[in-house]
Amino acid sequence: MQLLWQIIVNGVLLGGLYALMALGLVLVWGVLNIVNLSHGALIMLGAYAGYYLFTGAGIDPFAALPLSMLMLFILGYGIQRGILNLVIRGPMFNTLLITFGLEVVITYLAQVIFSADFRTVNPPYAGANFELLGATVPLVRMLAFILAIGLTLVLWLFLEHTRIGRGIRATAQNLVAARLHGVNPRRVYALTFGIGSALAGAAGTLYGVVSQINPYIGGALTAKSFAIAIIGGLDNSLNVVVGGLFLGIVEALTALYIGPTYTDVVSFGILVLVLIVRPTGLLGRTA
Amino acid sequence: MIGTLLSLAAALLLATVPSSAATVDLGASVQLTGKDANTGRYYGDAYQLTIDKINAAGGVKVGKDKQKLTLKMLDNQSDVNLSVRQYVQLVTQDKVNFLLGPFSSNFALADSAISEKYSIPMIQGGGASDQIFSRGYKYIFGTLPAATEYFSSTVDLMTKLNPPPKNVALIFADDAFDVSVADGTRALLNKASMKIVVDQRYSDKASDFNSILSLIKSQPVDAILVAGHETEILNFIRQAKTLNVSPKFYSFTVGVPTADFRNALGGDADYAYGMTSWLPSPTFKDEYFGNAEQFANEYKKRFGYDPDYHAASAAADVEAFVKAIEAAGTLDPAKVRDAIAKLDFDSLYGRIKFNAAGQISLPQTVVQVQKGKLVAVYGPKGMMEKPLYPMPAWGQR
Repeated sequence: MQLLWQIIVNGVLLGGLYALMALGLVLVWGVLNIVNLSHGALIMLGAYAGYYLFTGAGIDPFAALPLSMLMLFILGYGIQRGILNLVIRGPMFNTLLITFGLEVVITYLAQVIFSADFRTVNPPYAGANFELLGATVPLVRMLAFILAIGLTLVLWLFLEHTRIGRGIRATAQNLVAARLHGVNPRRVYALTFGIGSALAGAAGTLYGVVSQINPYIGGALTAKSFAIAIIGGLDNSLNVVVGGLFLGIVEALTALYIGPTYTDVVSFGILVLVLIVRPTGLLGRTA
Repeated sequence: MIGTLLSLAAALLLATVPSSAATVDLGASVQLTGKDANTGRYYGDAYQLTIDKINAAGGVKVGKDKQKLTLKMLDNQSDVNLSVRQYVQLVTQDKVNFLLGPFSSNFALADSAISEKYSIPMIQGGGASDQIFSRGYKYIFGTLPAATEYFSSTVDLMTKLNPPPKNVALIFADDAFDVSVADGTRALLNKASMKIVVDQRYSDKASDFNSILSLIKSQPVDAILVAGHETEILNFIRQAKTLNVSPKFYSFTVGVPTADFRNALGGDADYAYGMTSWLPSPTFKDEYFGNAEQFANEYKKRFGYDPDYHAASAAADVEAFVKAIEAAGTLDPAKVRDAIAKLDFDSLYGRIKFNAAGQISLPQTVVQVQKGKLVAVYGPKGMMEKPLYPMPAWGQR
């Protein structure tokens, strides 16, 4: 019983980080209709940003969060303005190819610049933990969880209640009508991709504190984010939290009761099931 | 028509006249980029260094004359299918004389099928899984100790600790090498009458070990033995700390001997046990480098980082080819293959002598990180330095 409780706590905390990882992917997918295959590579860059800000400038990874988000925002905005806007009207296959190419380029540049050495962001409190009703809760994972939920809420409020946010949603719903109301789609697209990248940056910086970093972590993170996006559904950023938590808990339970080697089989099996039974996601509106 | 024939004849003539500088061409497909690049670089760098060193000493004696070695190295981008294609290319298009291996068992397992098919000897220092050597292949040789024996010296050491650990958790990745390690380790633990209370296999892409660690914590585990890859082992240790999992003893197949591991973990690397089939000690004499220590110095000077046993194993592979070619006196693949099987020489890596299956036998030295330094604690001749045991709880360090 004690073990089950611990496993559920582990799953929930993992799920929070998962949700943050997927959040940027979902936003970009929902608004731009681009499945950004370079999303994991952007998370990787966020992790390195956190690493260098910590080891180079001595900035605590949590304090570095706004900085790494800003860096990734600028990069994402540039990628959309300079590259993706050129093909956004093309078939979805083209945007898939371009983001796939970006993933490869970013990853290999990262190996050249950062080397293939394994890095970790190791502040003194990285291993700290506390007891919660008998379960051990890693402090950093708890903080990452809170931040992940917080950022999701902020994004939701931003999309629902600000003028720019409404512009972003309007563009996603009806491009022509949004244009008629004075929305500049190019700007909105770049802004959205920038925000998506900034969220990837935040996820990456937190990922570096709980895991190891190398230039090749991106691919697996993209796949995971994709699964969460499908499971949660694309039409509301809050769904991501449900998708993330669901996957986190399922993986933790699978590892315990079926075996750790089967976590990917189960999580991607669920992805397939969701695609068949509820293509709009567990919480998505049915068409 | 006549022109075509003439040029054809000229081409044939050129092809048959031996070029003035005949060379012995070695081919290799190595993980220079991709997820295995961190370890793959040891192979690429050590091959190049050793070949340059041997060439500087005049090259390899084939029959009466000396020939230079050349290296045709391709980057397989850590993709096993690409590496198979590249070995086919090396043999059929580049027509290299002999093959050096890639890193890791999964790769060596697949690539050795090519050396066998084309009857070109491959000496590889990157794959230790018993599967590679249990198929009756004649053209594959390996210079890593057998995977099933990896934890042998570690289990020996465990029986000599006071008090010896009783309950053991065995955690391993689901690739060819680590499954072999686990199979061998189960037998070793049974023989030492230790009880395996947790026996878990994980996906080799895993980054989250919280479930396994929670399971270990819920059991009376004294020692944890992990067979995996460096990235996973880094995550395992970090997450063990955050969940307060402190066994008396834990040991890992890879990672611990590398400087990279200690840099990444800092103080958290302390007390971790690992193993190495090689240490850069002056006691390992070598014909080309002098000894293992000098090899390590030259390597560090040229590439800017310390070699580990992967690099030494790779260097020994090149030397093994040179010795075998000189013994055979020819570049005929079948004759060189027979000469490799008969090799027995001392190198910077240790004694190179292959068994009937094509694998060498090297004792593992148990190492431990003590106050940020790598210390050899237990070797084939027994205790070397006092092991720090039991490991203190995370909160009391």
